[in-house]
Amino acid sequence: MAKEIKILIVDDDPDYVEGIQSTLINAGYAVDAAYNPKAGFEALESKKYDLLLLDIMMGRGAEGVMMARKINKDPVLREIPVLIITGIREQMAFLFPGQPVHPRFLPTDELLEKPVDPDLLLEKVSHLLELAEEKKTNE
Amino acid sequence: MALKPSFSDEISNLLYAAHGNPINACIQCGTCSGTCPVANYMDQTPRRLIGMINADLKEDVLDCNTYWFCASCYHCTVRCPADIDIAGVMYAVKRYSIWNKTYSEDLVGPKFSEAFVKTIVRTGRSYEPILAPTYMFHFGPKDFFHEAVTASKMMLKGRIPVLPPRIKRLENFKNMIRKIIPLGESS
Amino acid sequence: MKKYAYFPGCSLEKMASSYHKSALETTEVFDIELQELDDWNCCGATTYFHVDAILAHTLVARNLAMAEKEGLDLVAPCSACYKNAYFTNDYIKNDPDLKEHINFALEEDDLQFNAEIEVFHLIDIFANDVGPDLIKEKVNNPLKGLIIAPYYGCQIVRPRKNGEEVENPQFFEDIISAMGAEPAYFPERLRCCGGSLIMTNRVAALNMVRILLQSAEKNGAHVIATACPLCQVNLECYQEQVNEEFGTDFKLPILYFTQLLGLALGISPKKLGIGIELVSATPVFSKLLPKEAN
Repeated sequence: MAKEIKILIVDDDPDYVEGIQSTLINAGYAVDAAYNPKAGFEALESKKYDLLLLDIMMGRGAEGVMMARKINKDPVLREIPVLIITGIREQMAFLFPGQPVHPRFLPTDELLEKPVDPDLLLEKVSHLLELAEEKKTNE
Repeated sequence: MALKPSFSDEISNLLYAAHGNPINACIQCGTCSGTCPVANYMDQTPRRLIGMINADLKEDVLDCNTYWFCASCYHCTVRCPADIDIAGVMYAVKRYSIWNKTYSEDLVGPKFSEAFVKTIVRTGRSYEPILAPTYMFHFGPKDFFHEAVTASKMMLKGRIPVLPPRIKRLENFKNMIRKIIPLGESS
Repeated sequence: MKKYAYFPGCSLEKMASSYHKSALETTEVFDIELQELDDWNCCGATTYFHVDAILAHTLVARNLAMAEKEGLDLVAPCSACYKNAYFTNDYIKNDPDLKEHINFALEEDDLQFNAEIEVFHLIDIFANDVGPDLIKEKVNNPLKGLIIAPYYGCQIVRPRKNGEEVENPQFFEDIISAMGAEPAYFPERLRCCGGSLIMTNRVAALNMVRILLQSAEKNGAHVIATACPLCQVNLECYQEQVNEEFGTDFKLPILYFTQLLGLALGISPKKLGIGIELVSATPVFSKLLPKEAN
């Protein structure tokens, strides 16, 4: 049997987490959830994850950006591929109407905007995991 | 594996400490409601709002005007015997309501906040005459009239600026904002 | 000479220009220089924190960083600006992740902030740096006969900073006594003026203003002294609306504490920005006992 693939979701919306978690579990992944960045970092320290799904608007504000940057600075954690899944364009629509998320300042591998189609999610997840696997074998 | 958070946990996650749940410490003593200078005008008093948050009554909490009527005077916060930052909780529910667009359309509070923030993001300064039309549109005719009279009196005394102020290093300022909220055309 | 970085805040540009003028005039008497920050930005008031508190802290940190670059502590005359600056400074001091992230943004404006400065409200400078004794010494036109209600409002004392007294502060009364005036007994002195509710919930805010005016008038105050432009505008410019709404007849002058202090220091009313009130300040002068009676 293949090694179990572990995914961590850090997102403050419990209903959203529930939905995405069941999609991923049905596809055979082991999924943990943390509902704020602090709990997210605790989870990352407690065991090794193969992929991180990260929300942006959490806590005091866009703390997902803070978290992604902190992970990218950590020599160990930066090896984990990060997929940002965010509703920020909707959440901040009054401020930047119709304007796109631009990933220039986001040290992350991929970005999806909510609502996310389950098939697209699974496709992105397996693609990121493959890339990470390739990178590892090339080293 | 964390349990699915209650509404009270969700709001706690929006607070500064973002660790554990300080709101659950509420003993329903009512010091906050007795202290609050706006309590009479609220659908639900602060004590009841905290109780409703802890009872997981998410929709009822979001429907009420309590947190938008909070004037941020922090009197409840400094008096709470359970050390809950109640004004901070009001801010947290405001953020929740803005991010999820759950506030009711007839409230002026969220419109005012949005108009204010927009002005600052674009110019670096706040400017009453641009702000006013944005939220005064949501006033009833009587309020609108009163506001216009007061404003024109202040204008006559030279107390309202004619030109909107803006900061000099506005491009830098806007790029700074983009690094915190990664939205908008890249420049 | 002591020097501070001065963050006037948006209100002081026009709406509260008299606070700006009188702050500069009165500090000068005590050899304190307020050096205005170049190209400061809005502190975000309360509303920015409704949307994204990290962005709000970043905006405030830009001003703090400019003060730090000059090697100066920051003084804000507006209570809301002061509260934001104080707590942003405090949070950044105690949260290395927040500090790192905010500095990442501040790079865009060639700034960085190490949180090595202190933040004061303008009234702190008079209460602590100068102190009532020195004020008394410099007063050459004591405000004898004048009863002044010390209106603290909210955000000078709340939320609690370093274990400070939040239920029974006395520093405002001490400053008023040092001017030669009598501080009014004013039980509502810590009660909120309504702040920005005047825009978002007019009747509730007008009622809050009414309670303050009533308490001051009942206790014989001739004038209310404020230390915040928002309090001043609510109490003064909305006084007529209060009268219409509640059938009252208030004509209570509302002046900045620096304007009253300036009078006591012998500075001319014009230099202190007196004369642009919507509620006339004339009663203040008619209550003053003539100088020879002192």
